[in-house]
Amino acid sequence: MEVALEDNNLMEKVLPPDEQEIDVELEAKEKKYLRGEGANLESLKDKKLKTQLASREKLYGKSAKAAAKIEKWLLPASAGYLETEGLEKTWRIKQTDIAKEVDLLSSRNQYDIVLPDFGPYKLDFTASGRHMLAGGRKGHLALVDMMNMNLIKEIHVRETVRDVAFLHNDQFFAAAQKKYSYIYARDGTELHCLKERGPVARLRFLKNHFLLASVNKIGQLHYQDVTYGDMVASIRTGKGRTDVMEVNPYNGVVALGHSGGTVTMWKPTSQAPLVQMQCHPGPVSAVAFHPNGHLMATSGKERKVKIWDLRKFEEVQTIHGFHAKTLSFSQKGLLAAGTGSFVQVLGDSSGGGHSRYMSHPMVKGYQVEKVMFRPYEDVLGIGHSMGWSSVLIPGSGEPNFDSWVANPFETSKQRREKEVHLLLDKLPPETIMLDPSKIGAMRPSRRKEKPTRGEIEAEKEVAIEAAKSVEMKKKTKGRNKPSKRTKKKKELVENAKKTFPELEEKNIAGKKRRIGEDAAAELPTSLKRFARKN
Amino acid sequence: MGGLKRKPSSSAKALAKSKKKKGPHLPNSILKVIANQKRPLNSDEEDDDDVIGSDDEHGGDLYEYEEGVPEEESRKNNRYDRHDNYDYELPDDFEDENVESEDDDDGGNSDNDEAEGDDDDDDDRHTRMLQSLTGMPSAAFEGESKSKPVLFTEAYPEGEFNPTRDVLEGKNVLTEEDFLAPLEGTPGYQKTSKQIARMRKDTKHVVHAPLPKPQRERLERKAVIGLVDEEFSKWVHLVKKNREAPTVYFNQDVDLGYSTVGAIASEFQPRTEFEKKMASVLNDSEVSMEDHIKDHNHIAKMRSLLFRHEFKSKRIKKIKSKTYHRLKNKDLKNSSLGALMDPEMAKEEAMRQEAKRVEERMTLKHRNTGKWAKRMISRGLNVKYDGPKAAIAEQLQMNANLSRKMNSMRDGSSSDESDDEEELNDGADEDTPSRLIAKAKEKTLKALEDDEVPNAGLMSLPFMKNEEANEEAKRALEEYEEWENSGGENSKKTVNVSGRRVFGATAKVEAPKESRKDSDNFYDDSDSDNDMAGIEDNNIEPVRDNASPARNTITETEKFDDDVAGNPASKTTFDVAMFASGSWKKMAGSKNTESKKASRKTRAPIPQAQDKKGWRDEESEDSESEAEQMVDGVLTSTSKETFEVPSQAELINRAFAGDDVLDEFEKDKEEVLNQEVPKPEKPVLVPGWGDWTNIQKKRGISKQMVQKHEAEKKEWEQGLKTRKDARLKHVIISEKVDKKAEKLHTTTLPFPFTSKEVFEHSMRMPIGPEFNPSTIVGELNRPEVVKKTGVIIKPVKFEEVNPNDEVDDEHPRNHQKQRPKKKTSRRQGKVKSK
Repeated sequence: MEVALEDNNLMEKVLPPDEQEIDVELEAKEKKYLRGEGANLESLKDKKLKTQLASREKLYGKSAKAAAKIEKWLLPASAGYLETEGLEKTWRIKQTDIAKEVDLLSSRNQYDIVLPDFGPYKLDFTASGRHMLAGGRKGHLALVDMMNMNLIKEIHVRETVRDVAFLHNDQFFAAAQKKYSYIYARDGTELHCLKERGPVARLRFLKNHFLLASVNKIGQLHYQDVTYGDMVASIRTGKGRTDVMEVNPYNGVVALGHSGGTVTMWKPTSQAPLVQMQCHPGPVSAVAFHPNGHLMATSGKERKVKIWDLRKFEEVQTIHGFHAKTLSFSQKGLLAAGTGSFVQVLGDSSGGGHSRYMSHPMVKGYQVEKVMFRPYEDVLGIGHSMGWSSVLIPGSGEPNFDSWVANPFETSKQRREKEVHLLLDKLPPETIMLDPSKIGAMRPSRRKEKPTRGEIEAEKEVAIEAAKSVEMKKKTKGRNKPSKRTKKKKELVENAKKTFPELEEKNIAGKKRRIGEDAAAELPTSLKRFARKN
Repeated sequence: MGGLKRKPSSSAKALAKSKKKKGPHLPNSILKVIANQKRPLNSDEEDDDDVIGSDDEHGGDLYEYEEGVPEEESRKNNRYDRHDNYDYELPDDFEDENVESEDDDDGGNSDNDEAEGDDDDDDDRHTRMLQSLTGMPSAAFEGESKSKPVLFTEAYPEGEFNPTRDVLEGKNVLTEEDFLAPLEGTPGYQKTSKQIARMRKDTKHVVHAPLPKPQRERLERKAVIGLVDEEFSKWVHLVKKNREAPTVYFNQDVDLGYSTVGAIASEFQPRTEFEKKMASVLNDSEVSMEDHIKDHNHIAKMRSLLFRHEFKSKRIKKIKSKTYHRLKNKDLKNSSLGALMDPEMAKEEAMRQEAKRVEERMTLKHRNTGKWAKRMISRGLNVKYDGPKAAIAEQLQMNANLSRKMNSMRDGSSSDESDDEEELNDGADEDTPSRLIAKAKEKTLKALEDDEVPNAGLMSLPFMKNEEANEEAKRALEEYEEWENSGGENSKKTVNVSGRRVFGATAKVEAPKESRKDSDNFYDDSDSDNDMAGIEDNNIEPVRDNASPARNTITETEKFDDDVAGNPASKTTFDVAMFASGSWKKMAGSKNTESKKASRKTRAPIPQAQDKKGWRDEESEDSESEAEQMVDGVLTSTSKETFEVPSQAELINRAFAGDDVLDEFEKDKEEVLNQEVPKPEKPVLVPGWGDWTNIQKKRGISKQMVQKHEAEKKEWEQGLKTRKDARLKHVIISEKVDKKAEKLHTTTLPFPFTSKEVFEHSMRMPIGPEFNPSTIVGELNRPEVVKKTGVIIKPVKFEEVNPNDEVDDEHPRNHQKQRPKKKTSRRQGKVKSK
């Protein structure tokens, strides 16, 4: 009878299927926010520490749960997607089809700006996706407010512009021009001329570190701190000229693609590359990083696009028969690739690798120069030889923006405050490393553990000094003789000296002798007389 | 008395003993005499100390033998009277003597001793005299008397701490009998002896001698420590809890007193007579007020229900209409209850429902197509009045109910489609499609007729619907006729019915080939009709329902691409957005024959398209098929061929370029490895050394050097193996130590941690407000002690703590709890429990 009752209770406890689904979903999210598993506390012997850590873990769990719930219930928007029925394929859907279905505001994001005179255009978006910078090869720089399609400033520098990049916000941008690179203000005023770098091929800005990284024609990599203008590092890559450069948004490591098919990764504090990867047999034509920093896409001229796992430095996927002049990952992990007048978007919907998601053929003769997803919007910006275009790629952008991180609707006051915060939170250049989560952890053990002679000497001296400066107790009459005191002090110093391995050599000698003696001792008595006596 | 005087040492001992045992004075002295001198008592009277001494030297046997009789006799003779007298006069004498002198005192104490004779008296008197003369204490004179007769066998003086040999040997130890013996025969002897015997048996009430002090104290401490432990162990949980708590709070609790009426009420204590009376009534009565009220309400409700029911039944009973009652009974029978009870009935009911549904679907009744409904709608009465409105809505509801698919009603079939298929197959087997069509025709006709008849208020909402349905039905009729006429001549024609299509499995469809052909033919006609009429169907459903094979036809699409054809066996159903596709216009303009061709194309078994063919092909295909213009300002173009096929020369170039690159990379890697993990140099001799003699050459490199080199090499290999890129041929991961970044790591583990892993795991979660929900940030960053400034930290108060429940941070325990609050809570609990 009792058992039956219990069963009933169990039945009651089983949640309805939709709630279970929610639970599963929440759990997945919770796991994400837990940032890995806690340590195994069972192995700890210290009970106090154990309880402390256990309570801490509990709090972490609580926090993760709360965060997961917030994500589940409070984030207003969900990501868009293309849904097909039956035999329809997403990549057959054209922009015109999409235009019919979407709302007015989104359909405004489909356009072509035809500027045939100054082409091919490079593009860059601010972190919030509000502003776009377009730099025409022939010297045309345009700053556009994407929200209201307002041209903020348009200047013509009358020389080659190889690349453009926003600094920390829309107020400043840098342009790599024919001889030097320059920094301009929002209103088009030239603020700085960066002569040290030489003719720069690519420019990238590291937001968290306030570093402007550039690679010049002769393959030199420069890091310049834009807050105080110092050149933090200038590194000779020694791999020749390159114009493939991308920043890993996760850790700030700069990747360069070289003509030998290698991709090298750099940080400002070391002259040697952190990682060199042989990715392609032919020249590398484009590199892109997934926002979470774990995936890298490279394209070689041998018509292959490869996707790499940067945690293992192994190839995850190879896409054949396809070569990209420019690659870009969206916030949600879609990969756009542009070649000639054709743009292809790959998606990882099923988790089994990237596959075709959408494609967009441009007018024949347009040469795609740069593709870049607009943050927080389902929009792909395409810079090409005849201006720039914008197409809708459903599901590419993060649907919910965090106004503390990047606010598209930022007021000027907020922007100023943000700027101060960014400066306060600026990371020093040495924090750029392959695994930034290791900051604060134990120092990795050195290969060479032995201290040098000088270090030993210094340490010994310190110890001797400490022994000498020991205050002696004032003892009673008769026990306080100066001779005794000096003797005692000498003893202390001797002891201090003894602890240092300078004596080791002598000890070794002594040991050797002892070994000889031991050998004699070990010999059978009849042979002992033959043992050598030193 | 004399005994006392004569042997002062023994008397002293006796005294001590008597004091210890708290016994009477005299018997002790007597005992002493007996023990030490072993002299019969009666010899006291005969005196002569010397004789006694000699007696002592005699054996004890003789003495003992003699002891009994003369003693008793003498006692009897001497004391009987005296004792009696004494007993009688004791109170007066005793007091008097006590007051008078020491001597008297002695005499008073030594009640039994007077028997000892005059000699003692004489001696006593003598000493007293001496005392009075000399003025010296009697003790001085006692020495004389002591020295006289006593014989010492021991070297030491006899005393409290020097017991005699006999005592030590355990021979002549005093027992109760010894004391009792002299009393034998006296009145009350029996009683005392009994008492003593009882006492001896009774070990319980024996009072033991107190233990030595240290032992006693130890025991006491032991007892006390238990109590103290108990007292203090009460605090252990409290202390433990405080120690384990991540945060200790020293906030002053602001006591607001009673916050609710309930709290005040719970505190209420009856004081006056009346209040007490009320309290006793309230508390003692078994039924509480609430229960009473509940009961009352319940009864009232039941009564009212009964009343209503009665009223209703009365009213119904009043109705005299027979039809009403008949209908009512029928209703009752047919009600769901009956159906539920009887499976037969349920089946019947289901059948009826099904029939109804079919009828509804056929006739399109209940769609407000009737005359009445039309009129109502046209005049807008259905909006104006509630009655018609409700009626119309009801009809619509009924229509919806009836025309809904009812899979549950079926027993075996899973879906309509399969049923239809079966039907189709049946039809094929019987080879009577004509019959089927005739049936359909008949039904359609019937439906048409039905529509003409205005059924009571069964009209549908869209005004023209009925006419449309009629029209369609008519068209269907035409088709049937046409088909009958043609007799299934034309074949291999497909339908072009837009909207929902079903792609059945090819195998399934192809099995009944004949029938399919037929159906194809039949649908081809309909297709042409459709073209003629140019109707976008929607209301074709009834027709299609009648002629179910329509569901199984494979329709063609112009843009039937490889992937689709790749899996012709799939059972998927899908909507072809024919009108949405850009190619539709073209198709619409095209001839029937074209579509036929296309359809045949699709019908033909197409080999599975290879996905691995590469994108290029498909892209090119796409671009070929697409003839696009600039639409809506979006620049799209016919991208026929975006990737030019690389020339052979280029390909070769690339192939050759690759090899070089890989080699180079390998070299690079080697170089880097050599730099980071330097390869140990091979031991070599200094050139020219030992050349003048070939001894050294013969020896070669010394063993030691070789060994050292080998060890180094091993180390080097190990170093290479442990590198991260050891297994990755295509990757070089630098392991150079970045000195600038070293300051970002700790060199030693912070104190409580002992393992690196645990420490790093504990550091993984950021605790700042940027990374955590605001509800948790406070908790994550709370200090160990929370205290308001100026708050006096009071000592911990005792409170009951459940050792099993854990510290919760959400409701931090306050260490400065106020008394009254606690009280109220406890009391509330009590009230509740009552």
